[in-house]
Amino acid sequence: MKTTLQKNSKAILVLIVIAAFLVIAARGMSGRDVVITVLRGFSVGSVTFLVAAGFSLIFGLLDVLNLAQGALYMIGAYVGWTVYVRPDTFVDVLTPVLLILTAFALNILWKHLAGAIKMQAKLRKLISWVLMAGGFVLLWIFLTKYPISLWDLNNYSQSPITYSYMADQGLRIVPAEATFEVISPIIAILGIFVSSSLSAFGLALRNREETQLRKMNWRQLIAPALLFLVAIFAAIFNAPITAWMYALSTNWLFVIAVGVTILTGVGLGALIETTLIRPLYNRPIYQLMLTLGLGTIGVQIVQAVWGRPEFVWPKPELFRGTGGACPATNLADLIENQCSTIMILGGRVRVYDEIFIPVVGIIVLVVVWILLKRSRIGMIIRAGVQDRQMVEALGINVRRVFTLVFALGVGLAAFGGALAAPSSGLTPTMGDRLLLSALIALAVGGLTSFPGAALGSLLVGLIQQFMIKYGQIGIPLPFTDVVFKPSPALVPASTVLLMVVVLLILPNGLLGKKE
Amino acid sequence: MNNILEVQNIHSFINQYHILQNVDFVVPRGSITALLGRNGAGKTTTLKSILGLTSVRQGKVVFDGQEVQGMQPFEIAALGIGFVPEHRAIFRDLSVEENLKIAERNKGELDEKREFIFNLFPDLKRFLHLRGTELSGGQQQMLAIARALVADNHLLLIDEPSEGLAPVIIENMIDVIGQLSKQSTVILVEQNFLVASKLAEYFVIIEEGKSVETGLMKDLEADKAMIQRYLGAA
Repeated sequence: MKTTLQKNSKAILVLIVIAAFLVIAARGMSGRDVVITVLRGFSVGSVTFLVAAGFSLIFGLLDVLNLAQGALYMIGAYVGWTVYVRPDTFVDVLTPVLLILTAFALNILWKHLAGAIKMQAKLRKLISWVLMAGGFVLLWIFLTKYPISLWDLNNYSQSPITYSYMADQGLRIVPAEATFEVISPIIAILGIFVSSSLSAFGLALRNREETQLRKMNWRQLIAPALLFLVAIFAAIFNAPITAWMYALSTNWLFVIAVGVTILTGVGLGALIETTLIRPLYNRPIYQLMLTLGLGTIGVQIVQAVWGRPEFVWPKPELFRGTGGACPATNLADLIENQCSTIMILGGRVRVYDEIFIPVVGIIVLVVVWILLKRSRIGMIIRAGVQDRQMVEALGINVRRVFTLVFALGVGLAAFGGALAAPSSGLTPTMGDRLLLSALIALAVGGLTSFPGAALGSLLVGLIQQFMIKYGQIGIPLPFTDVVFKPSPALVPASTVLLMVVVLLILPNGLLGKKE
Repeated sequence: MNNILEVQNIHSFINQYHILQNVDFVVPRGSITALLGRNGAGKTTTLKSILGLTSVRQGKVVFDGQEVQGMQPFEIAALGIGFVPEHRAIFRDLSVEENLKIAERNKGELDEKREFIFNLFPDLKRFLHLRGTELSGGQQQMLAIARALVADNHLLLIDEPSEGLAPVIIENMIDVIGQLSKQSTVILVEQNFLVASKLAEYFVIIEEGKSVETGLMKDLEADKAMIQRYLGAA
């Protein structure tokens, strides 16, 4: 044990110094302020951790710096909001999205068909591009004809802001249903499926020469068939599902919204990795440019669909109680009245923001930790971080694990967005700040270290919150009468300062390994 | 088919460098074949080319009657090839047990082979819960070989097993590899000619990316001139 202590003496020393600073900072405040500040620090730390953890997993195994992580966090928030506030839109979108997914999930079938067709390489390339482009154009045409009930950015009474407000007031009125007017439902569904199948087949045709033909198993068609059935089911029972979701308690709706967000994040991650990142392995500069560009595109798309102004995600019922016993002073009152706030050591603490978010953060930390340490996938990830070639030489398909890890990382970021939005509100730029925090947290904790991501995120969260609090109450500078109030601009600066100091002493971060 | 592996006139590149320029040999089933040659001649690249870790641009690699060049490395390995790389490549964040477990291609393989592996390498049993890198060099080499034995591999590619090991441990290693060859075919890259000549039945000499001589080890041992010419003083 002594040796591990000695090996990490510097890191332990730095941690002690940081802890001492935080204790000194806490002593300058009233107990009430300390409780709130520390809990908020944990809260911000948790959200930062969700983005940073995904970032660290992806970077550790794939060597890809995913700068789109902040935008994906933001997209997660908007997707979750849509499911929560406008379930009708979500149900409308479900069918076309699932149909497109089905078409691409049939990849094995397309590959097989593509393999059966013999033709010249040049012709094959040409036809594949024609199919992909043609399929895409057709898909676009059918999608614009497909009825999706949506908010209206140009009409304030129909805007996301108004819907958020109404949901917040408990006015959950089902908006007018969008109906098939231009084309019949059957043609629309078939059209979307066939056109996306054309694109998928074009893609398979293009990649045909690289992959060996593998045996097709009917079991591989079960997943696409299920997807297709769910899509048809959602189309037929669109109205009842919508009505059911509107009648649902907001607690369950919140769970569904978060679940859909995570799935969307995982799907987006898998899509990005397989189509965009994969051709760019071993070209780090291009990856940086690509992920940075993707982030910007994400922000623009969100601005176009959901609008620029900020709006809120109303909290679920469980965290909204304001009955007689609120703010709760003990756990029993809290649970019975579902209070929105609770008194802890004289400080009034918001239950969702300052207790629920940190608890979820810790749960995710534990779950991912167990996944890494106990599961076969986790074992492969840990081994792959060190030596990808050797893992492949053991007969393990590392590429598939890459896709999985990228999908998981993006899923975590999207989850973070959905978790934070009811507390922070939604703006298209909400991811930018968080990406910076997450990067700093990783630099402080150690880039590829998973516990480092947690520790760094916590430190960044705490320091930010202490700075914000001191911005309100001011620091009396010793030997003078001056009270120094850190301006809001100093909040991100303080975390950068932390990073600089830590990196000067420990170039690999607190828990990072020496390379 | 008497040959488990046929390497037919392969050319391999690492980036733009033309490393293998016509390597051609066959490996009879159940034999030990030693790849010999000076440093940088292309022995390791030959092993990596068989596994697809280095891409083969020309020529064929036929394993068990199947052409494997151009396949993904994991697909080739899964056909039944075990790889023990130079410098062992033990996973440092994994325990000894996990280092073995990760090599399973089917669930429960490690449990089936546990006894066999621990008979060969009693040391590993004692250190099962240590981290891979807490082992000594010799034990790491044992672990690297054991890892290649977990799955059902008919061909083992072993790169420089004696490198950096004490003579006593090398003796042990020779013994182990000799036992292994009763069950699977072995291709051995070995700088130490004494080790190679004790173990191998066949040899392939690689010089500047070309296979220049192949044959029976006992003929090579008798031909001092050839040893002198390709391998320096022996």
